[in-house]
Amino acid sequence: MSKISDSLNLKNIVCPFCSLHCDDLEIDVHDNKLYVKSNVPKSCAFKYEKLNLPKFKDMVTTVKGKPCEPKKAYQYSRQLIKKSKETVLLNSSSDVNVTREVLSAASKVNAIVDHVNSSIFLKNISIYQRRGYMATSLTEIKNKSDVIIVFSNNLFETYPRLMEKFLATKNSFSVNSKKKEIYVIGKKVKNTKDCNIRDKRITYIDFNNRNITKLINSFISKKNESSISNKIFNKLLASIETSKYLSVLWATSEFDSYKECDEIIYNISAYVVSLNKTSRAACLSLSGNDGDVSFSQTLGWMTGFPSRIKFTGNFFEYDRDANNAIQLINSGNSDLVIHLNPISEKKLVLNKKNKNIVIGRPCTKFNIEPDVFISCGIPGIDFKGHIFRTDNVVSLPLTSLRMSHNRSTQEILREILK
Amino acid sequence: MTTLCLKNGQIFDPINKIFNKKKDIYIKDGKIVEKLNEKISETINCKNKIIMPGAIDLHTHIGGGKVNIARLMLQEFHNNSDRDYDLTADFIPSTLKTGLQYIKMGYTSCFEPAVLPINARQSHSEMADTPFIDKGGYALLGNDDFLLDLISRGAHQSEINDYVAFILKATQCIGIKVVNPGGINAFKFNQRALNVDENSVRYKITPRKIVRLLARAVYELGVPHPLHVHCSNLGVPGNFKSTIETIKAAEGLPVHITHIQFHSYGNNGDRNFSSASAEITDYINKIPNLTCDVGQVLFGQTATMSGDSMKQHANHSHAHPDKWLCMDIECEAGCGVVPFKYTDQSFVNALQWAIGLETFLLTEDPDKIFLTTDHPNGAPFTSYPHLIKLLMDKSFRDNLLDQLSVDISKHTILKDIKREYTLSEIATMTRSAPARILGLRNKGSLSKEADADITIYDSNIKDVEEMFASPTHVIKDGVVVVKDGEIKNYTWGKTQVVKPEYDATIEKKLKKYFDKYHTIALPNYSISNDEMSEVIGSDINEVKCNRKRIS
Ligand SMILES: [Zn+2]
Repeated sequence: MSKISDSLNLKNIVCPFCSLHCDDLEIDVHDNKLYVKSNVPKSCAFKYEKLNLPKFKDMVTTVKGKPCEPKKAYQYSRQLIKKSKETVLLNSSSDVNVTREVLSAASKVNAIVDHVNSSIFLKNISIYQRRGYMATSLTEIKNKSDVIIVFSNNLFETYPRLMEKFLATKNSFSVNSKKKEIYVIGKKVKNTKDCNIRDKRITYIDFNNRNITKLINSFISKKNESSISNKIFNKLLASIETSKYLSVLWATSEFDSYKECDEIIYNISAYVVSLNKTSRAACLSLSGNDGDVSFSQTLGWMTGFPSRIKFTGNFFEYDRDANNAIQLINSGNSDLVIHLNPISEKKLVLNKKNKNIVIGRPCTKFNIEPDVFISCGIPGIDFKGHIFRTDNVVSLPLTSLRMSHNRSTQEILREILK
Repeated sequence: MTTLCLKNGQIFDPINKIFNKKKDIYIKDGKIVEKLNEKISETINCKNKIIMPGAIDLHTHIGGGKVNIARLMLQEFHNNSDRDYDLTADFIPSTLKTGLQYIKMGYTSCFEPAVLPINARQSHSEMADTPFIDKGGYALLGNDDFLLDLISRGAHQSEINDYVAFILKATQCIGIKVVNPGGINAFKFNQRALNVDENSVRYKITPRKIVRLLARAVYELGVPHPLHVHCSNLGVPGNFKSTIETIKAAEGLPVHITHIQFHSYGNNGDRNFSSASAEITDYINKIPNLTCDVGQVLFGQTATMSGDSMKQHANHSHAHPDKWLCMDIECEAGCGVVPFKYTDQSFVNALQWAIGLETFLLTEDPDKIFLTTDHPNGAPFTSYPHLIKLLMDKSFRDNLLDQLSVDISKHTILKDIKREYTLSEIATMTRSAPARILGLRNKGSLSKEADADITIYDSNIKDVEEMFASPTHVIKDGVVVVKDGEIKNYTWGKTQVVKPEYDATIEKKLKKYFDKYHTIALPNYSISNDEMSEVIGSDINEVKCNRKRIS
């Protein structure tokens, strides 16, 4: 193992922070601090460099907001777990190996396991639980897709490098990348403002994505009944009809608040399926940035279900409604929630109706003080791991970049469940 | 370490040509030994017991993206009332249940035949979470743009060999499989069929050429398992001709044709669908270096899953229940998951059932044919004991044929076949033969120094289906893991891999390709030995390759 004072230059580092998991980062490590050398958006580099601040350094354990010895935090956690009648293990960002341990932990204490993004990824999975689906993946889109449609209002905020690294690329193996046509459909102002690349291959179309079904129906009938101008609509339709490999992307999380959400996803995917009678077309539904794919995949192979499992003894059951953690918490039907957010705290919300144990990345911020907080190392920064990319089929190795003062989530879980 | 003695059993050990002979077996430190000088910690009385090496399944879809898609797609079937551990359906069991059900049937090694290189981490993670059994995977090649481009530029065989060897090392696999050679790739360019001698539109290469080059690469690198081939035209009436042409494409080099039942169809008769098992088995019987597994169909609900996105897309209208998913994957291959229910009311399904059985029974040498259902494509692996009974008991099989809802008697020669498999032949086709074809010298055998993976059956049970379904003891690496149907100990097997040598200049070429066209970096594509053990969670065992320098 390297010494803290060593300087290292690390290449091809996989970023754990957004679901694109770009793996071209070059990172210098001096004095155990991380400096991003590659030319990436500031927001991406900052996710690493802010970890250099002194407050992110040491292991922190608190009980009721007061710093304490780890031993005390573990002990108190054990007491809470022992007393609890309905424990929920709620994941809000992790990799495959943390998820494996979460399942093992849940089986020891008869807990419910869920992910904060379940309602969104269950919608994605339900497309192919009910009907046909044609899917594709990012390298395929980069190299084969001549026409790409992205439905998104804030694409560049959520996936800062999607356009540069995967869609509007310089090179494509099987198509002329210069002739690619890319349509970004959504809030035009927001997208053009956040996009850091100007590229004549990209057309931004101002559109209210609640009305996607209307737009798809217009494609089918070839009669524009959408709010898009006829000129742009006709160009878009012509691109679709002459495309050799059309890719359609969206993020279900953006549609989740619409009452039309299910209908929109269904209509896009059914349309894409229909295009395959004579041509090639495929969908990519972009997942959230909170380890959702790693979570649902791991649960899938270990239990047959993507989330919302409840253990009883050696046995478990799936119930999409009864084991909905957010609902259980909001209705006060869980007395203890163990939150797991080793990678990101963005989706962490504590409720005062129940006791809260948080095993989270250093400096996790809370809306209310948890009963116990135990800081853990971050997979991909402090610990090795393995995480799935947004397209569900590529998984990448996470490395340890620095010496960690924090223990891994897995170790902490094993400790508090002794 | 414990020492174990299996006393007075009837031994079936085909590698040593021992069939039904009484002999004691001694075990020490996970291996079989000639005798034990120290105190024996446990003796199992094997009087009236049949002892065989642990069984090996060389083609079973137990881990990877498409299996997991099927698990999540078909949740409504996770209602198995046998509450052994979980509710997952037998045709798409969880990883834990996969391990439990295999070990309880006396299977100790299983191989996932469709590992997409880019998805290898997932495949290995799933298999690492599958207890008891040793495992391994075959990496999919032959539809990847990198290789097809290399071939279309007239690359030398040695360069293809280097690439194949790199892929084996990078993916921690034990063999190479080609699925619908070139066809999955052609589907991405909107071709809907690709015959053995048909050029793909994009690369102007035929499936024949791909099979020839890959079979040769695998052979020259000295990889023990021959190229594993899923032929062109899966399920298409009349496809037996392209199957024979694919066999010929290997030009006499070793080749393994998988789930051959799905590729043995004629197009005769008023239904334009007929059995071509006679033509196919004639070929199997006369060509040396050719092995196959059957992919037997049995009636019931299952899910078909394949890398063959071209054919799965073409068949999606048969989905039952009516839902399916096809995917194009990372310029490597694809996948298609289509749920399916085989019913004996369907002429085609009933005939598929008969064609599989004909193929088993007409193939003379049990060293050349392996017992598979292409789990779960033809049926779940839990139906193996039933399938064994069909092969061993002519009256049982004839009765079932008579009872089929649809009359296929004029379309199958099944009733004319007198053959009944013997226990010795079953032992060969499920133990020694797959071990040999995979290069697993320490498996499928009761020789001294072999791994102590052993299954003990009760010969008092007269029904062979029942006997094979419920071994009295299963021993894995010298540990009794199953006794009277109960799990006694949990063990975690190893991942069997090969790592043939290669000229590293191929990595420079690959790096250029990856930097320019791929979306991940080459170093992150490869799985290291450390990653296997520390992150994925399975130790590896390297199987030796004997490189042959021909080209
Ligand atoms: Zn198969």
